[in-house]
Amino acid sequence: MVKAVHYVNQFFAGLGSEEAARTPPSRLAGAVGPGRGLQAALEGIEIAATITCGDDYFAEHEAEAVARLLELFEAEEAGILVAGPAFGSGRYGYACARLAAAVAERGTPAVAAMHEENPGVAAAGKAYVVPTAVNVAGMREALPRMAALAGALASGRELGPPEEEGYLPRGVRRNYRTGRLGAERAIDLLLAKLSGETRTEVSSGFDRVEPPAPVPDLSHALLALVTEAGCVPQGNPDRLPTIRARGWLRYSLAGRATLAPDEWECVHGGFDVALANEDPNRLVPLDTVSELVGEGRIGRLHDAFYTTTGNGTPAAVSARFGQEIARDLKEAGVEAVLLSGT
Amino acid sequence: MTALPTIATMVGVNRTLRGPAITHPFGLDEAERRRIVERGLEMLQAEVEPLTVWDVE
Repeated sequence: MVKAVHYVNQFFAGLGSEEAARTPPSRLAGAVGPGRGLQAALEGIEIAATITCGDDYFAEHEAEAVARLLELFEAEEAGILVAGPAFGSGRYGYACARLAAAVAERGTPAVAAMHEENPGVAAAGKAYVVPTAVNVAGMREALPRMAALAGALASGRELGPPEEEGYLPRGVRRNYRTGRLGAERAIDLLLAKLSGETRTEVSSGFDRVEPPAPVPDLSHALLALVTEAGCVPQGNPDRLPTIRARGWLRYSLAGRATLAPDEWECVHGGFDVALANEDPNRLVPLDTVSELVGEGRIGRLHDAFYTTTGNGTPAAVSARFGQEIARDLKEAGVEAVLLSGT
Repeated sequence: MTALPTIATMVGVNRTLRGPAITHPFGLDEAERRRIVERGLEMLQAEVEPLTVWDVE
């Protein structure tokens, strides 16, 4: 019999609803609330204790809450943590995911359950997330799924892909042998496409965002220049890598109307940079944009440009660069960006 | 601006303008650069569907 600990919020622990949301972490013996239904669905696993925390307490004292809940978890010497289901509840889902991530980080299997659009999903780290309905009406469906995945994890066997085992993709790809040649599989995909079904063997986990609204009046807007072409001052003083950059840089454009070739260079290692080094405006069009500002077509130019090397950079790292640069641009009041990709 | 609009749309870029070459997405000379930048400004001010790709001309 494997021992499990179940995490629920103050509401599902029976401590109260919003008025109890600031309750600090505590422990209850055995299975409580939805834990009873979960226990009924579990095979070979016993819920030894339930740990709980108020959603607001967790949100307002995250570090203390995680540390205390980890202490409570570790005191049970359990083989697995199960958290939720949190359905569509953002605070609760986040708490489930953060605690599950912290437990998984320490090498103990952890399962959280919530709706796939719950913001907590992104915080689950190495933990597994079982998708549920958006509200508590999905409890009856969710518990057996959580129990099945918990059972699989507790057994120590290697898990299969997300759609077979019932968890959300974690962005992990594994190599395996299919027994069929690439040419045969490509023909299958092509035939499927000709009959109207587009399939892929390499699904992307890329974000989809709505197109931002049009810039209402560029002649009054603040515009910025961004590039992943590895454009840096001559000599690359900050040592931007030519491949697999781990960060981005920002260089002042104050007092400049062009990027002169004796002052700037391109260190990108993924394409021939000869033409770019002849005239760096071919990557970061400061000359043209400065003219357009002078003509009143663009309101103002942001006084710095942003650069990195987009070469062999994992998508998740690029996404982080994008978020960090976008935050900086928003703080500066930038309304429009021209970005060159090479 | 990129000469690789298929990659840009694959990763979810909503306003992509097809540049002339990987090595110089903003063109070789000033006249070409001006056309590209002006088209980019036009795209920034346009209502677009997700994953839209425009050409310069």
